[in-house]
Amino acid sequence: MLKKLRLAVALITFAAFFALFADMSGVMRSWLAPLAKWQLIPALLAVNLAAIVVIALVTLAIGRLYCSVLCPLGVYQDVVSRVAALASGKKKRRAGRFGYALPHRRWRLAFLGIFIALAAVALLGLVPMSFASVIEPYSIFGRMATWLGRPLAAAINNVAAQASAALGGYWFSPVSQLPLSLTLIIVATASWIVVTVMAWRGGRDYCNTVCPVGTALGFISRYSFLKPVINADKCTRCGACARKCKSKCINPKTHEIDISRCVACFDCIGACREGAISYSRKPGACSKHHAADGGRRSFMLTSALVAGGLAASAAKRSSDGGLAPLQPKKSIKRQIRICPPGAASARAFESKCVACQLCIDRCPNGVLTPSTSLERFMQPEMTFERGYCRPECTLCTDVCPTGALKSMSIPAKSSTKIGTAKVRLDACMSAAYGEQCGHCARQCPSGAIAMVPVAEGDNRLRPLVDTSRCIGCGSCEYHCPVGRAARFRSGEPAIFVEGIETQYII
Amino acid sequence: MDISRRNFLKIAGMAAAGAAVGACTAKPESESEAPSGEMTLRVNPSTGDSVSILGYGCMRLPTVNGGSAQNDNSEIDQETLNAHVDYAIAHGVNYFDTSPRYCRGLSEKAMGEALSRHPRDKWMIATKLSNFEPADKSPAASKAMFMQSLRDLKTDHIDYYLLHALGGGGIPNMRRRIIDNGMLEFCKQQRAKGTIRNLGFSYHGDVKVFNELMHMHDRGDVKWDFAQIQLNYINWHHPAEPDQGVTAKQLYDALHSRGIAVVVMEPLLGGTLAQVPVSIAAQMAQRRPDDSPAKWAFRFAALPGVLTVLSGMTYMENVKENIATYSPLEPLSADETKFLLEMADATMGFKTVPCTGCAYCMPCPYGVDIPGNFRHYNKCIKDDNIPQYTRTTDYARARRAFLAGYDLAVDRERAADHCIACGGCKPACPQSIDIPGELARIAQYTNKLRQEQV
Repeated sequence: MLKKLRLAVALITFAAFFALFADMSGVMRSWLAPLAKWQLIPALLAVNLAAIVVIALVTLAIGRLYCSVLCPLGVYQDVVSRVAALASGKKKRRAGRFGYALPHRRWRLAFLGIFIALAAVALLGLVPMSFASVIEPYSIFGRMATWLGRPLAAAINNVAAQASAALGGYWFSPVSQLPLSLTLIIVATASWIVVTVMAWRGGRDYCNTVCPVGTALGFISRYSFLKPVINADKCTRCGACARKCKSKCINPKTHEIDISRCVACFDCIGACREGAISYSRKPGACSKHHAADGGRRSFMLTSALVAGGLAASAAKRSSDGGLAPLQPKKSIKRQIRICPPGAASARAFESKCVACQLCIDRCPNGVLTPSTSLERFMQPEMTFERGYCRPECTLCTDVCPTGALKSMSIPAKSSTKIGTAKVRLDACMSAAYGEQCGHCARQCPSGAIAMVPVAEGDNRLRPLVDTSRCIGCGSCEYHCPVGRAARFRSGEPAIFVEGIETQYII
Repeated sequence: MDISRRNFLKIAGMAAAGAAVGACTAKPESESEAPSGEMTLRVNPSTGDSVSILGYGCMRLPTVNGGSAQNDNSEIDQETLNAHVDYAIAHGVNYFDTSPRYCRGLSEKAMGEALSRHPRDKWMIATKLSNFEPADKSPAASKAMFMQSLRDLKTDHIDYYLLHALGGGGIPNMRRRIIDNGMLEFCKQQRAKGTIRNLGFSYHGDVKVFNELMHMHDRGDVKWDFAQIQLNYINWHHPAEPDQGVTAKQLYDALHSRGIAVVVMEPLLGGTLAQVPVSIAAQMAQRRPDDSPAKWAFRFAALPGVLTVLSGMTYMENVKENIATYSPLEPLSADETKFLLEMADATMGFKTVPCTGCAYCMPCPYGVDIPGNFRHYNKCIKDDNIPQYTRTTDYARARRAFLAGYDLAVDRERAADHCIACGGCKPACPQSIDIPGELARIAQYTNKLRQEQV
């Protein structure tokens, strides 16, 4: 009964988390946005007291229930483990495929220690949080869901959009695929393989060795009010419970259960034919073993550069019809990178962002992209090749679970300065070549650009940016025809946004 | 025996066409979709040609991608085109209208391929002197264009040769294109030799040019055998080009009174008359329940004195429907004509962009898909998906239909907001649409809709 309840809740949470990243209709996403705020590490970073207290209390009451029903990565591993059991044959599936193992105590403490140390130096602003987030379960799930699940969901959605439009429905809106790079595929696939292989071979090995959340909750769950206890009088030492335990924490010989590793899945209760295991208040035995063996896992991070740029010749209207080719615009090299709105400053942002990809996944304008620099790995950065940061949109700040992006109202967002437009006069088709353009000025949502003569008596016009009005939304950079239309050789726009150290409301 | 797929289809297509002809001559009434042999024919007063009232427009030929070659960048699907042409010829269509510029310059070759498979007396070809580019206006280049047309069309004579789109650029440009370079004289010589059987022009733009062409005819400088004009029930009283102020009725009267045969283009106004607003479609259906809005427009265009009505065909359905419409033509009654002209007045209140999708404006050097943007906007007007107030009852649905439909119809990179208003497209538009202005209007509307301000 308890197990079925656990299963039901776990599958619902898992589906909800998957939908959080991959629901392309956008209907469920807005309801699901608060879900990520109930993940422990984001809640701690955001000082979300309600979530922290509830998670701590639940753990104190019945152990690491968090790990089996609220953690999407935990549930995912259970699913993998279940599939592995099914694949291992009927006999093994019935009997169970695990057995008691000693805890990798030193490794657990080492991973937790490293995580805390990295998170602490990140919070002090010395290094970005992305290092610590490499082993953080929620953001691992986010990276997998965004770069493996989302492309698939988006492809299916787009087919559905075409089909529904053909039927005259518009039940699905087409979404643009996030630009997948080799690096991203490698990162997502590598974490997916590591997590899946560990779960396939060893059940909850990741959770009880690597995961800092699992280890930390393990400290609390030792003192939990209810815990699984073996009734030594009834127990026949058949070992059925231990073979079913994916945490490998039941020692049937000594009737001991290592509560710090137990993820409260309730599988053992059903496995015991004698009814010898129950949830009760009696103190369970803690493992006192200190043996350690080697963990053999590493996260391989490889980076690759995307080469772009097409040298297309100028389009000539020699015959009617057809579309002029467009070339991919190149991102400008910025002195100061641009952080998403609500970040306050690059330092504050990078010290808190766990790189879960939720904001990247959610941005409807395609302006957020994961950083490929090693130190800020996978943390979002802004680029304006595919769209601009629409002043009336606050989606990224609404979904951020860690408080790295602070939630803000639409009026506040539309007047928050995240950068300043700069003109490259030598590349501007109006200023340098006297062609009629002024497109940046026309498209500026803040009215911050005016077209003025380059010099007195010169009839060429140049864009002049009023820095006190410019919020750095990137509309000018996105709309600038230089670098995009095939008639230009260079891929860089003639007007671009330069980041600023600290964001402020103008 | 080695039969390639292509050959197989060719043979199968011919066999099918042959079978269709045979079947129809045997029992013409039994053919449900398009009765062959009943195509209405018109007689050309100058050469006595019997011309099918339906003219086959070759500007939107099918591509291998399943689109029209004027709007996508892929190759023409020759097998499909052959099948269309076979069907058309089998059902009495004998007038084919192309140009060296159509379908990114691919149309003539493809038509030569398709038509040369039929006896020369089964079809008549119309093509054009499309010397728009400065480099093409020299005597040598213009003559070369004519010779190339003969080669591409695999024929030794052109049945109908048009001086293409006279009127654009006013009288000076007209003189540069046909007078100063001696092309008009050249064409007259070719007509005397029989390489050109009928000489005419197509007209768009400056009305002074049209009037001058009429004066030339009256003075006897040149005898126009025919002229091609834009004619449909919208433009009958509402000028296609408002700044010129000349209606289709005025053009038609001028030609008809001189006995110059009229060839009609844009009978559906670029397809917009095939998809009229629901309120108008409802009234049409009340009068003739089985007729499509397109059929109404086709019937209007086939006025007395009209030699043929051109329709660009991309899909087999177009070919079949068009043939069915004119097999035979049922002329409009006076009451029906009056009704259509009232509908035209009503339609003009909707403010669609009068774009015919001819894509003469394309390619836009900044990548904007000009006809695609207009098509989407017009479609939304027709479907009532242009909400004007956020409190409109079905605002959310209409907004979604506009924005989702926009993303499906046009790449964001090719949307109206990328028009930098360089104005390069404006002179190319035969409808004289203020393209940058209309694109700005659409971009502004879209932006407001995204912000939920309308």
